[in-house]
Amino acid sequence: MSKFNISQYMGLVLLITFMVSCAGTKSPRHVDILPDLSELTGPPVLMQNETSPEGFDEFEDEFDAVPDLAVFDPLSGYNRAITKFNNNFFDYVLSPVSKGYNFVVPEGGRIGIRRFFKNLFYPLRFVNNVLQLKYHQAAGETARFLVNSTVGLLGFFDPAEAWLKLEAHPEDFGQTLGFYGVGPGFHIVLPFLGPSNLRDTIGLIPDTYAVPITYIPEIHLSGTSRTDRTFIALGVESYRRLNDASLRLEEYESLRRDALDLYIFLRDAYESNRAAQIKE
Amino acid sequence: MKKAVFVLIGLLLVTPPAYADDTAEVDAFLTKRLNNIMTLLQDKKLEKPERNDKIVVIITEAFDFETMAKLSLGKKHWPGLNKADQVRFTKLFIERLKASYLEKLDLYDDEKIVYSKPEQVKNKVQMMTALVSGDNKITMLYKLYKSKNAGWQVYDLELEGVSLITTYRSQFNEVLQTGTMKDLFSKLERPEAN
Repeated sequence: MSKFNISQYMGLVLLITFMVSCAGTKSPRHVDILPDLSELTGPPVLMQNETSPEGFDEFEDEFDAVPDLAVFDPLSGYNRAITKFNNNFFDYVLSPVSKGYNFVVPEGGRIGIRRFFKNLFYPLRFVNNVLQLKYHQAAGETARFLVNSTVGLLGFFDPAEAWLKLEAHPEDFGQTLGFYGVGPGFHIVLPFLGPSNLRDTIGLIPDTYAVPITYIPEIHLSGTSRTDRTFIALGVESYRRLNDASLRLEEYESLRRDALDLYIFLRDAYESNRAAQIKE
Repeated sequence: MKKAVFVLIGLLLVTPPAYADDTAEVDAFLTKRLNNIMTLLQDKKLEKPERNDKIVVIITEAFDFETMAKLSLGKKHWPGLNKADQVRFTKLFIERLKASYLEKLDLYDDEKIVYSKPEQVKNKVQMMTALVSGDNKITMLYKLYKSKNAGWQVYDLELEGVSLITTYRSQFNEVLQTGTMKDLFSKLERPEAN
């Protein structure tokens, strides 16, 4: 009980300080919580070779426009350590457990379970679509939820997409903040959960309120204490994540093989992926 | 003044069809090649090494690997390299890119490919495609430019908004910030050891 309340309170405080620190900056669409480092570093140092080879300049402005994350990564030491931890967790816990689970539950069943949870997370997508004024998408989400919960047998199937061509539009509070111009802030790697940043980590707190699993402790089941039910909720959420991961093991393994520097690779991939999601 | 207005109107009249040609060209060029790759992937009778060789032929036509190698090091590092290092880097980078692309195709071999209309971005063209299977969808954005001698060529690929060139560039940057070109070569040669 008490734990839950503290996190609620802390979330609120963090959110308020965050909002306040962001308010009052000039352009609403491009608030960046990174300090402007250009003043500190002065004019860019001239490159040794000013004449670039033929055909270089045509592309250079495109890739130069990409913000260099390496400029401001105050947690890089911690982040690298957690990346290593998560990677080990993947190798020694998640991957073997998933493989056992895959053996018991066939892929079709796991996809059904993933759909079931996705359907259950409808309020999260609905709320954030509304907050981003994407009313059409919010309505689409509602239609999806109604169809999939009934015809789709509690969401284990997705007739809304298969028959009605209604696609899901995943949105979360981190994206909502991004939509209103809040910059990503510095990169943070969360234990077990993986890459994130200041904005998206803060976004996780309001997100929990829009997820039904959070309310399991509120259901009065005879013979269970509140603590029991909190553990049940944690168990359900862990199971959801395990099921999701079981369908994507190879994807992570393949990405990992692509990386020369796993932390930098995951960091940049996460940040550009989020930027693209917000732009949508 | 009047002249300027005429020139402007003239430009407005002339440019859109020229752009439409570009996107139509890219559409034809890329769709054909990607369809061929999908056909090869779905051909279960084909042995994997043979299949991969055929796919490599197709992507070599479509991708400008040399430019991609150059771009991934960027203006910051590429011009400072001597000829031998440039050649060695290009070779290693291309091998890696091909291997990585083939591996990704293996992951998504039972999917369907959905094409969107190509879009003109200045003098380049971008074409969004999506790999769809069941409840999963992965977007792939192909970015092409018109090269002088080879026509339309892919110079970057964005997977779910993540650019290949950008991610390689920042990793190469990181390696070169603390190490030398020699370190980069050994990492490219033995990707597992990181």
